[in-house]
Amino acid sequence: MKTIKTATLLWTLIAGLSAAPLLYAQADPVAKSPSSAIEVEMIQPGEISLPAEFQVALYENLVQQLQKEGGFSQVYRDGDRNATDASDLVILHTAVTGFKKGSELERNLTTVGGATSITVHCKFTDREGKVLLERDIDGKVRFFGDNLKATNDIAKKVANVATRI
Amino acid sequence: MKFVQATLLPLLLFLGSIVSLSQTQSAPAAAEAVQVTGLTGVKENTKGTLTVENGTLTFATSKSSCDVSAASIQDVVTGTDSQRVIRGTVGTLTMLAPYGGGRAISLLRNKIDTITIQYRDSNGGLHGAVFTMPVGKAELIKESLLAQGAHTSIPSKEDSTADPTQQSEAKEQLR
Repeated sequence: MKTIKTATLLWTLIAGLSAAPLLYAQADPVAKSPSSAIEVEMIQPGEISLPAEFQVALYENLVQQLQKEGGFSQVYRDGDRNATDASDLVILHTAVTGFKKGSELERNLTTVGGATSITVHCKFTDREGKVLLERDIDGKVRFFGDNLKATNDIAKKVANVATRI
Repeated sequence: MKFVQATLLPLLLFLGSIVSLSQTQSAPAAAEAVQVTGLTGVKENTKGTLTVENGTLTFATSKSSCDVSAASIQDVVTGTDSQRVIRGTVGTLTMLAPYGGGRAISLLRNKIDTITIQYRDSNGGLHGAVFTMPVGKAELIKESLLAQGAHTSIPSKEDSTADPTQQSEAKEQLR
């Protein structure tokens, strides 16, 4: 009887200890950006020969993901006149630093080759140009989906980074 | 004889005016298209009809339609790509077919045209949209848009096959 009690206590203790960090993690809220508005500038392809559909899809996905998960109350598009009145505005500058257009057919056939990858340099600045945060972020589509899905992958990562400003 | 002349002359004039009218009123450019991303209020990968008429680009589906003024379009770029014949959830499930059947099915592909536009809304905000459509349609849509006030960074079809660095230089000049 005593052995059973000891074993039960021991297991309860182990379960409690393993659950503690999880509970702690849930109690800690996700860091939200203190800024209220962000303006997304058009993607700059720079020296990289980025097809127009990738440039536009990346821009549109960035706007969508920042609206969903960026933690900003307002997301302005490049050139939006309303952004000039916004207080505490963050501006997102995105430049493409790497691009490899893969092949959906090759991905389907080989499962290891044909990945599409895009690397961008993201710079969050304030209105005066002071850099708040800089990151290199890459997006990939390895198996399922068309090549443009890489832009969605990047946009999700950028929106996640934006919450840390 | 005079009666014949009197009948033929108005008839010729009438026919001539019809011919000249038919030359000036060109048929609107239209194509079955898929809106991949970008249009406000339209879900991604929605099928519809893309029409250019009276200075407006219209994407109409069975449920809704979205208009973009041709004059507000600051860049139109066409391209080519290919896509799986069987797509979506069914396409993904076919990948699980036994004995490599899924991979064989993925070989079935059709060529498509893409058209990418960038336009400004009434507040000056920049939007982009990507459409796919059957081969040969994108150039017609592009030419029609350009004729009705849209702009492009790549003026002609020949230039679109040029070195991509030249394309980006052209874009830089546009900005």
